[in-house]
Amino acid sequence: MAAPAHHVIIGNGVAGNHAAWVLRARAPDDRITIITIGALLFYDRYQLPQVFRGKHDWRAYLVHPPSYYEQNRIAVRRKCRVTHVDAERRVLTLAHREEVKYDTLLIASGGGGYLPANLIEYRPLFHSFNTFRAAMATARALPEEGTVIMLGGDILGIDVAYNLVDTGHRVLLVPHEQSFWPHKVDPSERPQLFEALSGAGIEVVDEAPVERIEAGENGAPARRVVLADGRELTGDVIMPFYGLAPALEFIARSGVDIERGLLVNPELKSTDAHIWAAGDVCQIWSADENAYRFYYGWKNVKAMGELAARNMTGSEQPFQTFIDETLTVDRAGRLHSSFWDYD
Amino acid sequence: MSDTDIQIAICGSAGDGTIAAGSILNQAMARAGYKVIAFDVYPAEIRGFGECIACSRITSAQVFSLKGQSDVLVSLNDGHAIAHVPEVRDYGAVIYDDAPISTLKEGQHISAHIKPAQLPYGLPMRELSERATSAAKSRNMVALGYLAGLYGMPRKAFHETITGKFKGKAAAIAEGNVQAFDAGYAEGEAAFRLDFIELGPAPETSSDAVMMNGNTAIVEGCMEAGLETFFGYPITPATTILEMLAARLPKQGGRVLQTEDEIAAIGAAIGAGYTGARAATATSGPGLALMTEMLGLGVMAEVPVVIFVSQRGGPSTGMPTKTEQSDLNLAVFGGSGDAKRIVLAPTNVEGCYRCAGRAFELAEQYQTPVIVLLDLYLSNRLESVSGLGKTRFAPNLSKGLDAWAPNEAYQRFAITDDWVSPRAIPGEPGGIHTVTGLEHNQLGRPKDTPEIHQLMTEKRHQKVAPAIRHADLSTYKRFGDEGEVDVGLIAWGSTFGEALEAMLQARSEGIRCAAMKVVMLSPLPVDAIRSFCADCREVLVPELNYQGQFANLLTGATGCEVHRFNRVTGRPMQVEDILGEIRRLAKVIKTERRFVAA
Repeated sequence: MAAPAHHVIIGNGVAGNHAAWVLRARAPDDRITIITIGALLFYDRYQLPQVFRGKHDWRAYLVHPPSYYEQNRIAVRRKCRVTHVDAERRVLTLAHREEVKYDTLLIASGGGGYLPANLIEYRPLFHSFNTFRAAMATARALPEEGTVIMLGGDILGIDVAYNLVDTGHRVLLVPHEQSFWPHKVDPSERPQLFEALSGAGIEVVDEAPVERIEAGENGAPARRVVLADGRELTGDVIMPFYGLAPALEFIARSGVDIERGLLVNPELKSTDAHIWAAGDVCQIWSADENAYRFYYGWKNVKAMGELAARNMTGSEQPFQTFIDETLTVDRAGRLHSSFWDYD
Repeated sequence: MSDTDIQIAICGSAGDGTIAAGSILNQAMARAGYKVIAFDVYPAEIRGFGECIACSRITSAQVFSLKGQSDVLVSLNDGHAIAHVPEVRDYGAVIYDDAPISTLKEGQHISAHIKPAQLPYGLPMRELSERATSAAKSRNMVALGYLAGLYGMPRKAFHETITGKFKGKAAAIAEGNVQAFDAGYAEGEAAFRLDFIELGPAPETSSDAVMMNGNTAIVEGCMEAGLETFFGYPITPATTILEMLAARLPKQGGRVLQTEDEIAAIGAAIGAGYTGARAATATSGPGLALMTEMLGLGVMAEVPVVIFVSQRGGPSTGMPTKTEQSDLNLAVFGGSGDAKRIVLAPTNVEGCYRCAGRAFELAEQYQTPVIVLLDLYLSNRLESVSGLGKTRFAPNLSKGLDAWAPNEAYQRFAITDDWVSPRAIPGEPGGIHTVTGLEHNQLGRPKDTPEIHQLMTEKRHQKVAPAIRHADLSTYKRFGDEGEVDVGLIAWGSTFGEALEAMLQARSEGIRCAAMKVVMLSPLPVDAIRSFCADCREVLVPELNYQGQFANLLTGATGCEVHRFNRVTGRPMQVEDILGEIRRLAKVIKTERRFVAA
């Protein structure tokens, strides 16, 4: 009798966990392992702005209780970083030198915050919001009614900005060409969108490149941003939001095709027969556009995870998105992004 | 409930410094003012790489046992620690090396075994150790430092303890270990904590609190009681008593001799006791089995001698490094004939101290061998204790020759009102007498008539009966609810701590419950036990042996019916297990009441 197949999922977000759920339903006897660099089980990142409202117990963010994983026999390898995927041997290596064999591998590692090259040296001065830990660090660094200098302002950042303003903080937004990413916004539409943000209490400063960033000392504000035109902005924390960069370093030497993301066909299969990808990490071939493209947003990512799981277990269905990638201003003058929608 | 109640298990292989790390943790936290109960498990094999676990419970209020589940597990060797991951509670922490030196197959790293409800904390122990000390061998200090930093334990107390531990060695050794500790501490301090384990402030404590295990407390009691001669033969888990006394007793004018075997040890101890010296030996179950013949001589010749017995898993060589309470029968009844002796079973470390000292008083007062019965768990269990040295033990309770009427010929074994005869020390003027293992008359001369044997046997039994009322010795004690209760626990030895904790938890759940500890197993406080049983709807007797030796003893003596709860896992009794039995019995009682009411 053949050993049950081992499905390994790299990534503990929406795509990875929905894939695990579908895999369990379709392959009751198979092994399923989720590998994540984080210490927590799958939690609802869309709820993270609640940290500004004092919700500091991570258990309140969990999508499933711990018992869910035991009941469904889904192993979650936390605090494990994948350093290499040997596609030929179907073995991946973890940072602590453990080798894990797989029969099918789903890359759903998501993306990290993208930083323009001129800002990389200032990384230690930034606060981010991509994990519970980062969100908590930001919340702890931000005093009541404190000031956040938000750089870029992609659509994730704008969601955070709304929450910050709603919780009594001041937000200074330094626009950038990546503002509203991943929405493709025509330059002519930007003033109206910025106006909507201003109307919600977000202070949008005139766009200018960042010249340098400094940490305050001796009672000075904690952070200072100097713009190329000489203006200076001071605040308590600086949060860059310039879009996402796929997290793919670990698979760079595995032989699968990578462009900006991991390239997959419409069935989400990579150029290796045993490796699939889902979520923010993959670029899917679009025959209509004759190009590989990313699909963002909770609903797309969830659909990709579920589809990849079905295709890993015998189906061959192509990915289709039904999400209208729109950025609108509602009657109340507030922005609404389709990427913010989730069940 | 106390503000602080953290149980930490450090697990590694022999040679990883597991026990050393646990010892430093215990001492540092006791130094900082916390209460600590600790127990180490180590392999029986002297050579090799067996499993070691140092388990410590750190609290701000007094507790009486280790918990069934730890809050934190520190792995110094995943090969051993993986099996103990299930012993960590939900939302507890597992700390491990995330940069091992060799390639691992799937499942060989501990991170593969951490349950969803537990929290992983990885750190590069080996790398940090090498960075701090240019060697990997201080991984245990790195891990200890990380643990301390993670929970904000007082760094100064650790520094002092580490420095003290390596006092007398090259200064670089202590410095290196402190550096390794600090490297770990910095990592722990910077780590993002996700567990909900909180270290509260240290309670106010008396300045003389020290960490001590049962065997050390025995030695302290012996020293305080003026032990003069000790004879021993090494056997786990009693060996450290011999070792410690060998180092200390000669400095106070006493003598220690390692004999060729256990028979020689007790023979020499009885000989010394006969000459009037305070004398003792220490052994474990297999050693006691060898000693029983000489023990009979001590009973027959009415010679004061103290025998410390630390039980381990048996029979035969059994499980030398695992705990058990299966030598009760041997201690109380072992040997030929009706050899009545006094048997004490302390229930905690402080009790070891008191029982050791009082054992010499009892041996002298009742002119008979006294066994102090521990087990491996109590011998090795560390507790922070205070007030030792304040207890004063009587220097000599012997009924001497001066109690004898001067104009009569001396009778060493004279029948008196209290059955205790005036005792002459060899060489004492007017005290010439004969001593023999044969049955004898009051002069000590061999005689085996029916009348003599009947009378002298009665004497040897009756004379020790008042021992249960010995001054300043709690031979039994009741805890918990007064009056009638639903469930009563009667426990002895090291298991009493777990029984007491279980009883307290049961009471907090609304179960009317009480517990009785019985320290004197022979003579048994029959009336007190009977009275306690009369108050209880059901009586539960938990003990670490298969036969229910104590349950048999007390039911035989009192006629009370009890529920037995026996475990022979080689490990201490679990509070949760006892609590489960209490709940079960309470439920039965509740159902019966409903039935009666209906």
